[in-house]
Amino acid sequence: MRDRLLILSVFVVASCGLAYELIAGALASYLLGDSVLQFSSIIGTYLFAMGLGSHCSKYVRDDRVLATFIDVELLVGLIGGLSALFLFLVFAWASAPFRTVLYALVVITGALVGMEIPLVMRVLNQRKTAFADIVSRVLTFDYMGALAVSLLFPLVLAPKLGLARTALLFGVLNVGVALWTTRVFRKELPSPFAQYLRGGVVMMALAGAFIASERLTAFSEKAIYGDEIIHAESTPYQRLVLTKWKDDLRLYINGNLQFSSRDEHRYHEALVHPALERLPWARRVLILGGGDGLALREVLRYPNVQAVTLVDLDPAMTRLFSTSAPLLALNKGALLDKRASIVNMDAGLWLEGDHGVFDAVIIDFPDPSNFALGKLYSLPFYRLLARHVAERGLVVVQSTSPMHAPRSYWAINKTLQEAGWQTTPYHAYVPSFGEWGFILAGRQGGYQPPQAYRLPMRFLDAESTRQMFFFPPDMQPVEVEANRLNNQSLVHYFEQDWSRVIR
Amino acid sequence: MLLNRRRMLQLGAAMGAGWLLGGCRHPLQLGLDITGYWPGMQEGHWLRGNTPIPAPSGERKVGVAILGSGVAGLFAAWQLARQGRQDILLVEGPERYGNCAAGSMGGEPYPRGAHYLPLPSLESTHVRELLFEMGVIEADPFGERPRYDERVLVHAPEERLWVDGRWQEGTLPRIGMGADELAQQQRFLDFVAGLRERKGRDGRRLFVIPLALSSSDPEWRALDKLTFAAWLKQQGYTAPGLLWYLDYVCRDDYGAGSAEVSAWAGLHYFASRGGHAANAENGAVLTWPDGLNPLARHMLSRLQPQQRLPGMAVRVTDRGRHVEVDVFDVRQGRSVRLLADQVICAMPLHVASRVVTGIRDLGYDPERHALPHAAWQVSNFLIDAFPEEPHEHPLAWDNVVYGSNSLGYINSTHQLIRQGKPAQSVFTAYHAYSGVDPRALRHQLERASADDLYEIAAQDLHAVYGWRWRHYVKQVEITVRGHAMSTPAPGFLDNPGLKALREADGRIRFAHADLSGLSVFEEAGWWGSRTIA
Repeated sequence: MRDRLLILSVFVVASCGLAYELIAGALASYLLGDSVLQFSSIIGTYLFAMGLGSHCSKYVRDDRVLATFIDVELLVGLIGGLSALFLFLVFAWASAPFRTVLYALVVITGALVGMEIPLVMRVLNQRKTAFADIVSRVLTFDYMGALAVSLLFPLVLAPKLGLARTALLFGVLNVGVALWTTRVFRKELPSPFAQYLRGGVVMMALAGAFIASERLTAFSEKAIYGDEIIHAESTPYQRLVLTKWKDDLRLYINGNLQFSSRDEHRYHEALVHPALERLPWARRVLILGGGDGLALREVLRYPNVQAVTLVDLDPAMTRLFSTSAPLLALNKGALLDKRASIVNMDAGLWLEGDHGVFDAVIIDFPDPSNFALGKLYSLPFYRLLARHVAERGLVVVQSTSPMHAPRSYWAINKTLQEAGWQTTPYHAYVPSFGEWGFILAGRQGGYQPPQAYRLPMRFLDAESTRQMFFFPPDMQPVEVEANRLNNQSLVHYFEQDWSRVIR
Repeated sequence: MLLNRRRMLQLGAAMGAGWLLGGCRHPLQLGLDITGYWPGMQEGHWLRGNTPIPAPSGERKVGVAILGSGVAGLFAAWQLARQGRQDILLVEGPERYGNCAAGSMGGEPYPRGAHYLPLPSLESTHVRELLFEMGVIEADPFGERPRYDERVLVHAPEERLWVDGRWQEGTLPRIGMGADELAQQQRFLDFVAGLRERKGRDGRRLFVIPLALSSSDPEWRALDKLTFAAWLKQQGYTAPGLLWYLDYVCRDDYGAGSAEVSAWAGLHYFASRGGHAANAENGAVLTWPDGLNPLARHMLSRLQPQQRLPGMAVRVTDRGRHVEVDVFDVRQGRSVRLLADQVICAMPLHVASRVVTGIRDLGYDPERHALPHAAWQVSNFLIDAFPEEPHEHPLAWDNVVYGSNSLGYINSTHQLIRQGKPAQSVFTAYHAYSGVDPRALRHQLERASADDLYEIAAQDLHAVYGWRWRHYVKQVEITVRGHAMSTPAPGFLDNPGLKALREADGRIRFAHADLSGLSVFEEAGWWGSRTIA
């Protein structure tokens, strides 16, 4: 009976061992991309660590074999069980050491799991079971457990429970084995009470984590995003995550919200139409950034526009927005339009070339959150831009929030002015972003906001336009420096402004 | 002389598995394409008379012959060309552009020598003229605060220092430094800040670039009698962080540590850089992807093709009515004789002393007057991906390792205006061989294999990125300059031999940074411009 219990525990232990391996592999390929590489290196590392564990098992003294087995089970349960949750938290809060933590956990879990089977075999050996019998039965159940989990994991556990809770579940199973073994063999153990106690503590920790995992995930996986992820992709430039909740599609780049389908019309109408409504003669339009095709969708509504060039760094972005059905519905297939030409190139590099002049330029770059992005909001950049804009043409720049990042917003305005542009700042309320800012710039001054629009609008009319160009007392200009490349004041402003807003 | 590692590997493979054993000594560079480059080494052997030089096969009359196409020679040629002189001839010497030379790998330009220029001082009018003509100075070229083209002012983040496994901003070590250390740092900075505007009894500023315009007040010139390290000790500076930094600065500018250079030179570094800009803070510097090469190229571009001659001067003899200059073209294996009214000897003095007949009669005795020379190694790494960097301290233009005896590394694509990281870049790691017996060192460097040089070349990069560094590198070129520059050892200011050559105003004149004793762009340019005044 007791031997049979041990054999059964082999089945459970083997299942758990494989489960941790699969979870680590799935997590790595999900968060880091390149699944073949991630799976194969995780499995390799895990198996190697198991070898280490098997090797170490020989240093366990004969009279401590059973007790050590129980302790190992408890440790595997604790570490393996919490591993996925912990990795999500690490990834969410500090992405830099993620890989190191992942592999450290794989090695530790693997080594502990590697000790299990040799210890069980030694216990059985001490109990005078025939060697041929031990090997045959232990390995049979070992492999059966592996089969069970390898089918259960992708078909049932991962989709139903998610990775974090699947790991916790297997942790509970490990601890269960430990407690049950303690109970059955309590007379043969030097200190069964201590092991009950440890087992109880670990079980409570896991159970607590299981219950709290709902709330803990609020800080991690979906939590980074909140909703169900329908597409996630790591490109050489950024991480794109698309989420959906009911009819709300959201795009995140590196964890920052780019748009929500519920109110993106506000943002894109405000970005495009104050300029284009005033340029009924515009033929050629340039869009820098905006690989989602949403600004392009608005530009293409004008029959007078004959050609639009869209320059976006990341081919994965424009590919995603010209192939995925829900996204095509959102941007109305703008990227596939005959009048649009898509260029996947660094905007700075592209502007150094000669592409003729454009009547309107829409600049929709990511916020200036680092020195590389800050260069796209600099004096030399805006001077370079001037070479590509028609004499009476207009430029509009997405300029962060005049409410939440006032110094950043006015620094962009100042930089455009120092680069020789006549600017007209304005802003619009976009619920998912808050109060958002734009700056219109022309070579000649005298821009007047539209009183009416030739095209039907969802957000813009005479009154909302008037409010966009009005700056209430709490959004007045602040004294700032222009963004010079040698100090990049804008990047510092942006960092400081937002650190005050984000709790 | 070029020595390609790939070719050596092929050779080794043909001869057996010997290369494998060789490779094992350097496991981190196995299979890496490393090229060693020793500019001027072969020419140096010719000059030392180890190989006979063919007799001149023809004669050519010239007005002004400029011998050497480094910064001094180019300044002279550029100024003459601007004055409309036609009868000038620039003899390019063993290496075109000298210490402003550049190369390119995989289409990426990089420096093989100097890589930056501080904002020029008010007195450096020759440099300001050049920058204005190039469009680098956009407005007010000779004023207190000219406006510069922002694309060449070093972009943020400018520099960072690796201290015990972490980065900090700036190169003066701050992390983990005690109160006493910080107080000493401040005391030193305050002291040199006070020196900047201070004048000697002759009414001149104490420390000026060009050096020749500095005060000759003997009280301050006395600083040239001791080393910088000795002076620091005398003044009670003991803080290890500060002392390392000052040693680093000396090595970076003079190729020799604080224990080798004159205290006057050490303070000159800090007190002479008074340039300002309308659109950058004090202390800003100018840089290009290929270092200072664009400045040199611009000057050379002012010459007509017939005003340039490849080859190097091997004998310069004043015949009274004219100066005879024998020029030997190593590649063609031919010599030509120039008959020049005027010669500007824009070559390092250790070369001039072999080439100019009777240089002793001019008052320069190489045995007694030659300054020590520093050897430099400029190592360029072509990378096809950037190493990961911490978010709060991204890759800077200049990246230095605290405690290292190398000088850190520069990122050549730092000034590009790009949203994403470029697909390729070149990291340039600098190393000055300081504190080593120069003759033995040069002997060793001439015989070193590219592999031997790699260890020094990559030591800072390995300290920062560890073994992962190897993943990013595609190709390496290591330039070894055995006589990169003179070092301003104590006594250099009043060196009578240098004084004599500075004042030589016959048919042969001299122009080189060696005349100052400090190898900086402004000094070389100053002497080049002076010869034609």
